[in-house]
Amino acid sequence: MNLQFSRRGLLGLGAGAGGALLLGACGDSGPNEKVTGGGQNAAPAATAYTGPNVALAFWNGFTGGDGPFMKKLVDQFNTEHPNIKVSMNTYQWADYYQKVPAAVATGNGPDVGIMHVDNVATNAARGVILPLEDLAKALNFKAEDFSPPVWNAGVYNNTRYSIPLDVHPLGFFYNKTVMEKAGLDPSKPPTTDEEYKAALEQMKAKGIQGDWVTPFEFTGSMQFQSLLWQFGGNLFDDQATKALYAEQPGVQALTWMTDHVKNGWSPKNVAQDADLVAFRNGKNAFNWNGIWTINTLKEDKNLQWGVAPLPQIGTQKAAWAGSHQFVQFKQKAKDDNKLTAGKVFINWISQHSIEWAKGGQVPARAEIRNGAEFKALPEQSAIGSQIDYLHFLPPKPGIADAMATVVTAINEAVLGRKEPAKALSDGAAKANQLLEQNAKKYGS
Amino acid sequence: MSRVKPVAWYTVLIGLSLIFIAPVVWMVLTAFKTPGEATRVPPTVFPQEPTTSAFDTLMGNDQTPVLRWFLNSVLAATGQAVLVLAIASMAAYALARMEFRGKRLIFGMIIATLFIPSFVLIIPNFLIVDRFGWLDTLWALIIPGAAGAFGVFFLRQFFLSLPRELEEAALIEGANSWQIFTKVVLPLSKPALATLAVISFLTNWNDFIWPIYVLFSPEVFTLPPGLAILQGAYTINYPVIMAGALVASIPVLLLFMVAQRYVIEGVSRSGLKG
Amino acid sequence: MAADLALREQAKTETRAGGPARRTGALTPYLFVLPYFVVFATFVLAPAVYGLWISLHDWDYLLPGKPFVGLDNYQALFDSNSAVFSFFWESMSATGIFTVLSVPLLLTIPLLIALLLNRRFPGRTFFRAVYFAPYVLGVAVIGVLWRFLLDPNLGAVNAILDAIGLPGDTPWTTALPWGWVTLVGVTVWWTLGFNAVIYLAGLQDIPRELYEAARIDGGGKWAEFRHVTLPGLRPVLLFVTVNTILVSANMFGQSYLITQGAPGTETRTAIMYIAQVGLADYKMGSAAAMSYLLTVGLLLISAIVFRLFREKDAS
Repeated sequence: MNLQFSRRGLLGLGAGAGGALLLGACGDSGPNEKVTGGGQNAAPAATAYTGPNVALAFWNGFTGGDGPFMKKLVDQFNTEHPNIKVSMNTYQWADYYQKVPAAVATGNGPDVGIMHVDNVATNAARGVILPLEDLAKALNFKAEDFSPPVWNAGVYNNTRYSIPLDVHPLGFFYNKTVMEKAGLDPSKPPTTDEEYKAALEQMKAKGIQGDWVTPFEFTGSMQFQSLLWQFGGNLFDDQATKALYAEQPGVQALTWMTDHVKNGWSPKNVAQDADLVAFRNGKNAFNWNGIWTINTLKEDKNLQWGVAPLPQIGTQKAAWAGSHQFVQFKQKAKDDNKLTAGKVFINWISQHSIEWAKGGQVPARAEIRNGAEFKALPEQSAIGSQIDYLHFLPPKPGIADAMATVVTAINEAVLGRKEPAKALSDGAAKANQLLEQNAKKYGS
Repeated sequence: MSRVKPVAWYTVLIGLSLIFIAPVVWMVLTAFKTPGEATRVPPTVFPQEPTTSAFDTLMGNDQTPVLRWFLNSVLAATGQAVLVLAIASMAAYALARMEFRGKRLIFGMIIATLFIPSFVLIIPNFLIVDRFGWLDTLWALIIPGAAGAFGVFFLRQFFLSLPRELEEAALIEGANSWQIFTKVVLPLSKPALATLAVISFLTNWNDFIWPIYVLFSPEVFTLPPGLAILQGAYTINYPVIMAGALVASIPVLLLFMVAQRYVIEGVSRSGLKG
Repeated sequence: MAADLALREQAKTETRAGGPARRTGALTPYLFVLPYFVVFATFVLAPAVYGLWISLHDWDYLLPGKPFVGLDNYQALFDSNSAVFSFFWESMSATGIFTVLSVPLLLTIPLLIALLLNRRFPGRTFFRAVYFAPYVLGVAVIGVLWRFLLDPNLGAVNAILDAIGLPGDTPWTTALPWGWVTLVGVTVWWTLGFNAVIYLAGLQDIPRELYEAARIDGGGKWAEFRHVTLPGLRPVLLFVTVNTILVSANMFGQSYLITQGAPGTETRTAIMYIAQVGLADYKMGSAAAMSYLLTVGLLLISAIVFRLFREKDAS
């Protein structure tokens, strides 16, 4: 298939040096015209599909160990739905977010896909994905059926574009062996700021730097965001016109992190992933990390570890979380059958998301999260108990651009290049400029 | 060189080689470790519990047809290397040895585009490749990349440094330009051609940004975008990365060693003697 | 376009009387250039012109509106109040630092190695492969490999230094100037074989008679190198110089994987920032303007290099 010259291609190459192609490529007849056919997702949302056989392309970034769990669900879906054939393609997330818009623009896009919740608004604004309002209405989904923060994070411009599959919060991982060695009770991980600092001091006395602070996005930025929200702050205002993270709560949060280095609870210059590698080697005891770490740690047969909700350092409970959400993509030509079948698929996977949770996730759907089967997964349910106070980014297009400034500020402060307040205010000033640019670009 | 004692000679060579080879050896050893052992501190040198599980991950999954990717990589890289050698050598010869109007302009354009960062060309090229209908085919990997100015510039410089005498002799004997090019210049340029072939092959072989845009189906993937799928989203699986790198690099090293024989052959050309 | 151009050029040439005394048809040079030029015009020239056009717009290929903004994207690069100004120039200076540090090493060390490996001795193909081996690995692999080996707290390099009594807490990947030492060192290690192989091929072009003549003159090894090797290599040297500057100025993967631009954004190179703006933030107009400014800078530098090599020609 892949090595057949298309006739058009050969002819095109022959004429390619001519100006026609150049002019054509320069014209405003860009890729958008190709996708207008699918501009409205008007297909009736249904819970069953009875039309002719359709094939659906389902793309996601479930690489490594996640893929097989989703593949199993897809296979089961195909068996139960003889008239729908779903084929799944997996790419690395970073590649996926480059590839999907390009594919959609040229009419090669998939039918159904997964996106992280903070990418939904950007892709809605850029015309990559379709509204899913009707599906939510047809199934009578309400915020409480999921969890209000994660449900509301999929709405852009008063229109729903995504249906949550899971949430993946930050959790508090602790190494029991190291805690014991320092004379701490491994069955009682710290839950408050005082307990936390007392434990770190006690480990320091035994020569253990108990909690390595990482200056990079994974997971320093996630830890900072959790602390920021715990101290009552916020990253941006609701309309995402202004960065708020340099205000007092932000400074408190970042100072809490840099104090780790200052007080000798963490070494300097912690590189990417070093915090977790150190944890697995018994060099530290505490690690704030994503729920995906469960699978990594389970590979270490001799490691004695536990996981709990994040300790409450600030004035309220809060935790960072990501969320995988279902989306439908614009097509060259609208096909109601495919759109309906896609919705049946989304609903079915959502109903069966306990299988997905076993791969190391918290199901977004409340009935499954509260079911006995999920409660029987000790690590996942410990992290999942934070569901009511998880935070997500405001659903604004281009928000990721502004988030990059947060990561830079944390990096500068934790690596000792700038004081926390200075690093944050420098970053916020940049973020404000980017937010203004984006408001102009995407229309506020 | 006869003045240098072989023992001292090899000591220097091997000592230097260690710097180059030690990290690569570490890579090979890591491929046979468990993920936990690969990140052990302090690191183990030799695998304590040697395992081929990283290779099993590579080979034992119908979602990740590594052999197919390998074949695609061979086709794309070979296709591009052949195309580059053919078209760049002709253009470079004209630019090095012939006088014609517009030569400076053409060479100037080729050199100038050399300095444009490839990122700015990605989206325009993606739209152009789409117009040819080449998305999700290996053509998208073979042809656009052959347009790079590298090969022409490279061969032009080599042709410039060839002694002119043989070409002039052939001219006097009545050979035409094409005959001089194919019968005299190309055989003399084997070292340069072999080198360019390896470089073109390798550039294409390791490219991972362009394939992200133009390839969608796993059956059409080459090794770099394919092997990326084997990685988890948030954690690095060192043995799998290193096993993949091993599988991907051994054929290229073998190709390199074969190509190097032509570089040696170049030394012993007899034409210039006498 | 190419064919058209060729015909026009041919017409012009034909009107000129005389020309070089060759049995070459006037059309011949154009026929030699044509196949390459067709591909070049389609996949380099056209996108490059397209890119220029993009740089004059607020351009996102997915948004229907692509407002024309004239030279605004270029102006912003020189306006210290713009969102891009400090990031862009910081990244340009990172690229500058990296290029200045790595180019001299990448020109000289590979030449020495090429001279060593150009001798005849048993096992030389093997040794050539050894020096070339790192380059066979993609940047994704060597980036991950060295980030792990150079980890300031857990890496093998610091562990080895510590074991032999040297300081074992150097922040190779998280602080300056160590970040530059790492990026330059890894790049030299990784790409040295590439330049060495080109030099090796170039050395084969130097007729052996010249060396024999030099030996008879009895000037010694250094004179032989200066009067035979270097002049013989000059066109190849020009290529290697220009190409090495180019590749260094395009450095991206090493920073992206090993230092991730840290500390702060101080090791974020121009290409890394351009890719961020154009491909992650979808501001292709701005990214294109940055690219072309970088291109102009590189063109100026390479013009100087070309001039230097030509002046030597004349002497």
